[in-house]
Amino acid sequence: MKKRLVVPLAAFAVLGSQIQAIAHGVKIEYQVQSAIEIQSAYDNGEPMQAAQVAVYSPDNPTEPWLTGQTDANGKFIFAPDPQIEGNWEVQVRQAGHGEIVAIPLSSDSESKLQASIVKGSTGYSAPQLILMGLMGIWGFVGTALFFAKGKS
Amino acid sequence: MHIPDGILPAPIVLTGYAGTGLVTWYSLRRINRQENPQAGVPKASLLTAAFFVASWIHIPVPPTSVHLILNGLLGTLLGYFAFPAILIGLLFQAILFQHGGLSTLGVNALMMGLPAIAAHYIFQLRYRFKITQVNGLAILGFFSGAMGLGLAVLIFFSLLITNLPAGLDVRTEQAAITGLALAHLPVVILEGFFTALLVSFIYRVKPELLPQR
Repeated sequence: MKKRLVVPLAAFAVLGSQIQAIAHGVKIEYQVQSAIEIQSAYDNGEPMQAAQVAVYSPDNPTEPWLTGQTDANGKFIFAPDPQIEGNWEVQVRQAGHGEIVAIPLSSDSESKLQASIVKGSTGYSAPQLILMGLMGIWGFVGTALFFAKGKS
Repeated sequence: MHIPDGILPAPIVLTGYAGTGLVTWYSLRRINRQENPQAGVPKASLLTAAFFVASWIHIPVPPTSVHLILNGLLGTLLGYFAFPAILIGLLFQAILFQHGGLSTLGVNALMMGLPAIAAHYIFQLRYRFKITQVNGLAILGFFSGAMGLGLAVLIFFSLLITNLPAGLDVRTEQAAITGLALAHLPVVILEGFFTALLVSFIYRVKPELLPQR
């Protein structure tokens, strides 16, 4: 009795799933847009992995237009709505460390986009930073020597 | 562990500056009451240099990396000189390397400076308990050095966790902040040992360099 039921049930199941698959046909459309890539790193050069990103559009600076996470290399890519011109603000944050960058977006200029993203770094090269550090240390040591001399 | 610009709301930033102004005034007053206020300046200046450089020394604590602070050490060795020393060190870190921020200078100074003063009081317990042996001083130095940083981490943790901005996934950020605070535990112990070593060394070589009563 049971065996007799198995065959029609199996046939029904296969047919049924086929019908379902046809009903879930997929259509993918695409269009080429300009996107903004955010590269975030700590000041020691280590990428901010899985940091939270909130993108604010110029017309609503209080609620995020998009939220997401950076990837393992500290990168985050999003395509802003080209209709909304003005300063797009992107906040990257992890464990109390973070930065907000304002990215001016206007329909005519593509070059502007890339210029303003490099923020958060001091803009100095490693030798410059070392020199600045040494000068700072010398300032402190010099102060110490000055007062030590005055004492004797 | 420095809090950068744009993380904390304006009222807290302003309160930080007001508090820092008050504590700086009080510290300078205490320093001025000393017999020879200038005598402590060379030591304070050298330790400011150490504090200034300490933030370059990164210690990898997977999955993150943390750096030395040395505020407990400064408090232990400098007493009330530690607060202006930390304030000046932070100012230079902020303007030269954008480490921390100018708007959060007050908050950062309080966050690291108040625990430094607490570390000073912990170390001065040696007079109350009449500790004169090197080992006893080293143990006290360990606690003052470790507590200085430990308290600073606690303040950092509570400041950030109570000021999470809207628009962030609160749980992820809380987990990240908790992770960063826990990653400081090895540094707390390391700075405790470092302070203990330095205290016992100075006590053997030149005990008058330790802050007097």
